[in-house]
Parts: sequence; C-alpha cells; structure tokens
Amino acid sequence: MEVKILSAKFDIEGANKLEVAKQHGAYANLDRLFSMEPADVIEEVKKSGLRGRGGAGFPSGVKWGFLPKDTGKPVYLAVNSDESEPATFKDRYILVRDPHMLIEGIIICSYAIGSHDTYIYIRGEYTTQVKELQAAIDEAYEAGYLGDKVAGHDFRVDVTVHRGAGAYVCGEETALLESIEGKKGQPRSKPPFPAVAGLYDCPTIINNVQSIASLPYIIENGADAYRQYGTEKSPGTHLFGISGHVEKPGMYELPLGLPLLEVLEKVAGGVWKGRKLKGVIPGGSSTPVLTPEEAKTVTLDYESMAQHKTMFGSGGIVVLDETVDIVKLVKNLINFYHHESCGQCTPCREGLGWMKKITQKILDGEGTMSDVDLLRELCDNIEMKTVCVLSAACTMPVRSYLDKFRHEFEAYVTADESSVAEAK
Amino acid sequence: MADKIKLFVNGEEVEVESGKNLVDAVSAVGIEIPHLCYHPALGADGNCRMCLVGLEEGGPPLVPACKTPAQEGMKVLLDAEHIRKIQHDVMEFELINHPIDCPVCDQAGECKLQDYYMGYDRKDSRMTVPQVTKSKKLDFGGGVVHDQERCIVCGRCVRFLRQITKTGELGIINRTDTARVNIFPGRPIDNRYGLNVVDLCPVGAMTSSDFRFKQRVWFLKKVPSVCHGCAKGCSITIDHNREKYQDDIIYRFRPRLNQQVNGYFMCNDGRLSYRRENEGRLTQFRLGKNERDMLDVITGCNKEIAHSRKTVVLVSPDLSLEQMVSVKALAEKLGATLSGFSDGYIKTGDGDDYLISDDKAANRKGLEILGIDSSRKSFEEAMADAELLINFNNDLSLSYDESGIRSLLGDTRTIACSTHDDELTGQAHFALAISSYSEYAGTVINCDNVLQHFTKAVTKNNELPDVCAIAAELGSPLQNAGQAYAELQRAIGALSEYQPADIPAEGLNLNDSEAANVTA
Repeated sequence: MEVKILSAKFDIEGANKLEVAKQHGAYANLDRLFSMEPADVIEEVKKSGLRGRGGAGFPSGVKWGFLPKDTGKPVYLAVNSDESEPATFKDRYILVRDPHMLIEGIIICSYAIGSHDTYIYIRGEYTTQVKELQAAIDEAYEAGYLGDKVAGHDFRVDVTVHRGAGAYVCGEETALLESIEGKKGQPRSKPPFPAVAGLYDCPTIINNVQSIASLPYIIENGADAYRQYGTEKSPGTHLFGISGHVEKPGMYELPLGLPLLEVLEKVAGGVWKGRKLKGVIPGGSSTPVLTPEEAKTVTLDYESMAQHKTMFGSGGIVVLDETVDIVKLVKNLINFYHHESCGQCTPCREGLGWMKKITQKILDGEGTMSDVDLLRELCDNIEMKTVCVLSAACTMPVRSYLDKFRHEFEAYVTADESSVAEAK
Repeated sequence: MADKIKLFVNGEEVEVESGKNLVDAVSAVGIEIPHLCYHPALGADGNCRMCLVGLEEGGPPLVPACKTPAQEGMKVLLDAEHIRKIQHDVMEFELINHPIDCPVCDQAGECKLQDYYMGYDRKDSRMTVPQVTKSKKLDFGGGVVHDQERCIVCGRCVRFLRQITKTGELGIINRTDTARVNIFPGRPIDNRYGLNVVDLCPVGAMTSSDFRFKQRVWFLKKVPSVCHGCAKGCSITIDHNREKYQDDIIYRFRPRLNQQVNGYFMCNDGRLSYRRENEGRLTQFRLGKNERDMLDVITGCNKEIAHSRKTVVLVSPDLSLEQMVSVKALAEKLGATLSGFSDGYIKTGDGDDYLISDDKAANRKGLEILGIDSSRKSFEEAMADAELLINFNNDLSLSYDESGIRSLLGDTRTIACSTHDDELTGQAHFALAISSYSEYAGTVINCDNVLQHFTKAVTKNNELPDVCAIAAELGSPLQNAGQAYAELQRAIGALSEYQPADIPAEGLNLNDSEAANVTA
C-alpha cells in the first residue's frame, strides 16, 4: 500500500546533503521549470489537484490564483512549518531527510507566483530540524540554487528561516505572519486574506511544507502522473503519521482514498496487544473522533472524512484502544487548546479554561449531569464565534467525544467515590 | 456630507452614511450594536466578539460589525434569536472570571459590562468552578491604577498608547485566560494623555487614583463645559456634586466628544485642572486686609475710580467673551486704558502637535476679536503713570517676577477682581471675589477659531458675582452677561443668528464664516 513519492529519498543515507540529493534527482527539473511560463506552472499544479496539506485541504493552485495582479508590491511566500497539531509528524521528516525537495518546491512555487522572498516559519521546538534545514539552505545558496540567479536563470529566490517561540496558534496562517513581523502571534481578522494583504501588508501565499514539497514531483512527472495516486477529488499521496495503540506506529506515505481500517491492519499492524478498537482520531487532535463502526466505512480522503462528519486534517491518525479513558483524553485535549489559545477573542480565551475546569470537576467525581450538558453547550457557544479556528479545533473533537462517548462522562458523574478513586 | 446608502437591519430599511462600519453607521440612526473592544478613535480590533451580527444573502453568516463596512443593500440580522444568543454567550464568557465586585468598583454606573448584562444577558451565573485570579490595584503610573481581574482584555488602553500617544507603555502579556494588561518592568505610564485610558476602559479595570473611591458616579451631576487649561479649549464634561451639608464641588473633568476640537480625548493637565476650581479660591470681599460686605467694597472701589486721574483696566485672557465685552464697556465708560497683556500665559515649548497648546489662556482669540490691546509695551506705558489698576483676574505673577510686579505697580492703587486668593490679591487695596468658569455661563474662542459656549455647572453655597456683574457695579453700561452677549452678536456676525443655547455643542468654526463678519 505504501508509495514512495515524497518519501523517495527518506531512506537514502545522506539524502539531506546536496550531493546525495542531486544524485537522486534533486534540482533536475529547474531548466524545465524556467522554460515554462509561470501561468503554465500554476495550471499544471491546478490540474494535479494538489490540495493544501496543512489540514484544510484547499486546492493549492487555486489559492495561488487569488493573488492580485500588478499591485506594485512584492509577493511573499511563507512556508508553514509550524507542525504543532498534536499527533502530527510528517513535515519534520521532509525537513530532516529531504530538505532539498522542499527548497526545490520553494523555487517552483516562487517562480509560479512571482515571489522572490520566502520565509520558512518553523516551530521553535524543532531544533534538529531547523539545523538540518538551515544547512541545506546554506548548501543550496553555495551551489547557486538559491540567491540572485537560481541555477543560472535570471530569477532571484531568497529564503529566510524564521523560528517560532512555541505557540500552536502560530500555525494559523495570519498569526504566523504576525509572528514573522515580530509581533505577538495572534490571528488577524479576515478579510483581508493574506493573498491580498499578508506579510508586511503585501500579497502573500502561505503553504504547508508537504504541499510545497509535492511540487517537484508534479513538475517532473506532470499532473497526470500525480493523479495516478489518490482519488478524483483527493489526488496524490500523503504522509500519514500513525500513532497510538497500534503495533507499528510510524510515518507512512500512502495514496489518498484507502480504507482506514485496512491501512491500520496492513500498514500499522492493527490495534496492539490484541485489544479492541475504541476509536480513531483521523487527522490530528482537532478532528472529531470516529467510532469503530464509523471507521469501517471511512476512507483516507477529504470527501469521505467530511461525509463522516470529521476532517482529513493533517494525516495524523491516532488509534485508541479499549482501555482509553475518554474523559481523561478530553481533559488532556482541552488542556492543550486552552494553553495554546492566544487570548484574543473572548469566547476562546475564557471558554476553553471553563471547559477545562468543568472536565476536571467531572474527573474529580464532583461533576453533575448539568456539568456534562454545560460542557456540551459550551462547545456550541464557543465554536465559530472567534477570529480563527483554534477554538473550533478544541470544540469539534470535544463535541464528538461527548456525543459518541457520553456514557463515560455520565459514569464519572454517577460513580460512587471509591470507583472514582480507583479510576484515578 | 457623506453619501447616504440604504441597508436593512432586521428587515427594516434604514438610511445611513456610507464609509462607516456597521456599528457607527447604524448607531447614527439609533440602533445599538453592542461592542466592547471597538472604539471609533482607535479603530476596530474585533477581539471581544460582542458585535457579531448576521448577514443575510451572501457573505459569511457571522461578521464582526466593527470590521464590516456598511454597504448598500446589506441585510443585517441583529434582533434574531441566534444573534441574541451570541450576545448572551459572549457576556457569559466575559463575566465568568470577572470578580463582579460592582459594590466597590468605581466604574459601577458607567460600566459596559453592567449595561450589557442588563441589556443582553440577565441570566444567573453558571460558573461552579474556581475563577481565574489575577493581580489587583497595580500602580501603572501616571495616576492609573489597574485591576487585572476586572479587565476584559479588549486592548483599548494598549491601542490608545500605541496609536494616539505612540508611547506604548502598555501591552498584553501571556495568552489564553491568563492574558493580562501590564506595563513593562520599571516603565510606568508616562505621557501627558495617559489618563484617557481610564475613560476608554469600558469596565472598571482602569481607574484614576485621583477619582478612585471619591464618588459614586450616579450621584454626579454632569454638565457640558469647556476646559480652560489652555487655548485648545477641549470640550469637557464637568462632574460635580453637592454632598449633604457640603458645598458643591467638582470631582472630575472628562473629555466630551467634539470632532472639531479635541475628538474623544483631553490631556492630563486639563483633566486635573478641576482642582483649581475647588481649591485656593477667593471668597471674600476685602478693603485692604479687612473683610467687608460686597457693597462696602464696591462703594470703596467706585470712590477710588472717581478719584483716579488715570485708570488701567486689565483683563485676563481666560475671561469669557461676554465678560470681555462688559469690561471693555466699563473701560470705555471710565475713559480707562484697557489691556489684555498676558504674555506670561504663554509657555513656549510646552505645547505639542496634538491637544496641548503653548498658550495657557482659554480665550486669547476673544481679546483679538474684540480688539483689546495685549502688547507689553502699551500696557507698561499705561501703567507708568496710572493711579489705579482694575485687574479682572489677570495673573500678573505669570508675566512678572516679584520685583517686576513691585516696579510695575509702584504707587498704583489696585482693585483685584479675582477667582483665587493669592499674594497679589492679598496686597490689593480692594479685593473682590468673582465666580470662576464652572460657575458661570459664557463663550470662548479657542486657538483654532472655534467658538464654544458653556453653561453654568456649579452653584456654590456662597455664590459669587461674575465679572459682568462686577463690571456693571463699577460703571459698565452693560448690566449683565445677557446684555453683553447682545453686544457680542453685533461684534461677531457669525453669532447674530444664535442665542447662547443654540450654539452647537461642537461649537462654531469662525474660520468657516467670513472674516468680514467680525466688525470689532
């Protein structure tokens, strides 16, 4: 089931070094790229159907098309490498094992959208990754793949690595821009969208690392080759991070559209220790959970996930076995999003902390049924009332746990003290 | 005038000005969209989420009204169940960690949380878990005391100090529900407009150390007036009250919106100049050092005037136009030299390019318009052989040092009509207490030629005569401020069609009227 497109060089010793990477085809397509018109590059990417790999799945070529023409302002490219969504670990592989694929992708994207300055926003905790990435960028500059004349062509691309300081919200594209600008990382109200007024108020395209890294393959092999993989509406491959209670957790590159359970069985070795499945988080902690029943029919693509009232997300699949205490899971989940709320909008700032304390109260055996109801109601009261979707990233999954595993919450409420103590 | 556009609110068509956001546009026609973080002077931030409204037909289902421009044909949903629910929910979130210490909070009575709770919430608290605790009574400097627990993190104060004063003393530190407003360590609020954050704060988080715990605001009588702290003449509200068995005193000045003069703000000096209305006042009539009846002193003055072969009448550049007209008429009647010399009122370099003027006189334009000579030369020449100086509240100590005053006055007898009891008043041969600007109605013209009228705010237990009345007693043919105003209408053509009460609240810009209208 596994394919090797993005991960083709992941297992090659030293592929993060320019020399080795070049032996395996890195930067081989630049002459071809510069022989194309930028509009044709965009067209090819549109045809490939590549969708943003940051979680939202917006078609990349279409996004590029939103750039206004002839504004007289520079166009910036920001590469989102903040990879902070719990259970997500895909971009880090690219940064460490094949950074030149990303740099080549940056050159392709820059040429397509007419940008000369790229900022790679990388999460602060990625110390190894930032080192490897910067080393690769330095090599690329030295070899002339970056700088005033990319591979001898009359096109300048400069790349700056910007490290975050440890805020999940800076993965939100406008908070990311604020952070690059040296401000507090808080999302901006939209409109205006970044394509119109982004970094330093200039037209800006923000793409995920994996989206950008997918470009060299598409330019080399064409849109049709990319479309061999995946489904009609979700073409291509994706780096899936499978974690949790499976026998073989890890990062696997798979075409989109495969049945979830089959992947879990055949690729990840099934639920560990012969236990039963309790649920699956399909695409990072912010995606609503799937019950074993729902997991039976879902496939790993944007459409099937939406039909199952969840999201494809970042491809970070978490498997929950029968021993998982959903209330504790929810507490942990809310803890994270509460901690990461930027504190700008009232409902998120005040509401997530409230939800956290109510969940703790339930866990402590002091909760009531009305606390469970309140928790459920707060999900609705907070969600989509805020500038960005961080609050929804918390309330959507919490709502799904409350709706699908309500009995576990009620068990805490109705349990006598001794059984609660035991559960602790 | 801006173009008008038509849009729909709750299905009803309203006509509003274009180029405004929804909050301002519909507020002008009397429809309230509740908002906490938005302030017209600071622009939209969109963090409080209280102004979320629905849009029918196209567009996103929910938009922050503060960030949404009013557009032709827009269909705004405000009075819908789901919008009311959002307003209630946001209020609930604002209040769960709020201490609700209204009984000891200075903001009570003028608090947006209170108003909106009554307007949009009115539900019992469902908060059964411990509240977030933060720091209280933090001294932010500049007379600002902060309570982080009451704060709703709307950021108005932060934006004011960044955008308006550009001093940036405040920031919001931390994130999530531990986000709080604070100063940088060792860098207190240090600018001349800092106290505006107290007005801007929609809740009781920013309090003024000067006003804290002095009065419940609902006891305060609020009267529109004009600041006399400098030539800018900021529009203000005088908040005063007479406590039982006490005198009527002023507790604070607050800026009053006037786009033609000061916008929404005023400087700290002006704001605190209310103290001078309460303190150090001359309340007696004196012959030499001895307190006498007003009539005795007036009689004495009139005898003095009758004997004087040369009299100089000096007016303060702070007097109202009516008072200046009265005094001018008096000087003419007495054949006296009239001067408005007040160079000392000008503190060169003290002003800025915002609201504070170098000139600390409230009505210097009035002197100019009435043709009252203010030059040092003619004043000193007249004083050289003057036998009597009648001084209407002109503070000579601003223009001369002690020896300067001594040599200026020489053997000249002095009648001091004064609001304040200072050394010069103490040395005067006749001292007459007069009312100050919070105690009379009048008209002044600011440095930008904007004429404003203000009404009487304070009524003292011991009411003092105003300058017009004293001038009349000393011989002015104009008997009172009303007659003086009629005279003023002849002098300033722009006033001919206005009675004092009809002068617009934002004043009359005399630059707009023809210069020929001024005939004095």
